[in-house]
Amino acid sequence: MDKLERRLKQDAGEIRAEVSPELQTRIDASLHAAARQRPIQAESRPTATLWWASSLTGLVAAAVVIVLLNWNQERAETRPVEVAREFSTVPQPLLPIHGRLPLKTRTADLTGPLEQELLHLQADIEKARENLQRDLRITF
Amino acid sequence: MTTDEQLAKAAQQGSEPAFSELVRRYRTRLLRFLLTRSASRADAEDAIQDTFVNAYRYLHSYNPRWRFSTWLYRIAIRNAARQARHESPALAEQRSDSGDPLAECIAASERENLWWTAKTLLSADAYAAMWLRYVEDMPVADVARALQRPLPWTKVTLMRARRRLSRALAEEAGTATRREIYG
Repeated sequence: MDKLERRLKQDAGEIRAEVSPELQTRIDASLHAAARQRPIQAESRPTATLWWASSLTGLVAAAVVIVLLNWNQERAETRPVEVAREFSTVPQPLLPIHGRLPLKTRTADLTGPLEQELLHLQADIEKARENLQRDLRITF
Repeated sequence: MTTDEQLAKAAQQGSEPAFSELVRRYRTRLLRFLLTRSASRADAEDAIQDTFVNAYRYLHSYNPRWRFSTWLYRIAIRNAARQARHESPALAEQRSDSGDPLAECIAASERENLWWTAKTLLSADAYAAMWLRYVEDMPVADVARALQRPLPWTKVTLMRARRRLSRALAEEAGTATRREIYG
């Protein structure tokens, strides 16, 4: 211990810091008040220790949601493929690989209703042509 | 004799006499330290009361692997800092007029108390580091933990503070010698 350290220790000892009886009473009173609050905290503690149960429930719920979402996605993905095959919107050169590329399902999904509309229009035109021919025959 | 850490462990298990013993052991030391950091004696007394209450409340978070004094001083430093933040400048000014509690608590002596010099020369953290290291005899690692500062920062701060105080001490010795020679 050098001179500075000795001096620091000695001078710290010269600082008067007696705890008065009033201060001691204050400290005791506040500690008693804190002690009274403690059992309440202790009672509420068992629920706090069940954190693992709530975490587990959360994990299970998350897993269920993930499974459900994936299941619905699989079903949604398979439907457009069937529509695409039904209306044969796939170009001829791509027919051998049809069904293997997931992109085709998107194409079928988008053009399917248009194909249906086209068929209806063609049928309408055919009907109109037949009507026109019949009318012409009657007139001339 | 039961160590502080053993008493703290007993208090954690619900022994109130063990905690009372810890209060008895630390009250004077802690008040002396807080007097050097607070704006008034009343503030220091509030801070010591809060420190013991917080220590009692959060005793379950104390790890007996570490020194109890480090943990307790950390709470005390935090309380003193919180109090200093909440104090309005007007109140601080009013208090500075009435005098520093440290100056009031230093026994009348022929030579100046080195801690009084330290208060004027060092920052609050450097002052606390010096106090914990040389009055409380804490290892440097514990001082760093109590101040919540990195170890290299604490070492450098202690070294600089020592150098400043050594210089002040040398100047004081020089003045005393001159006084003896020239009367």
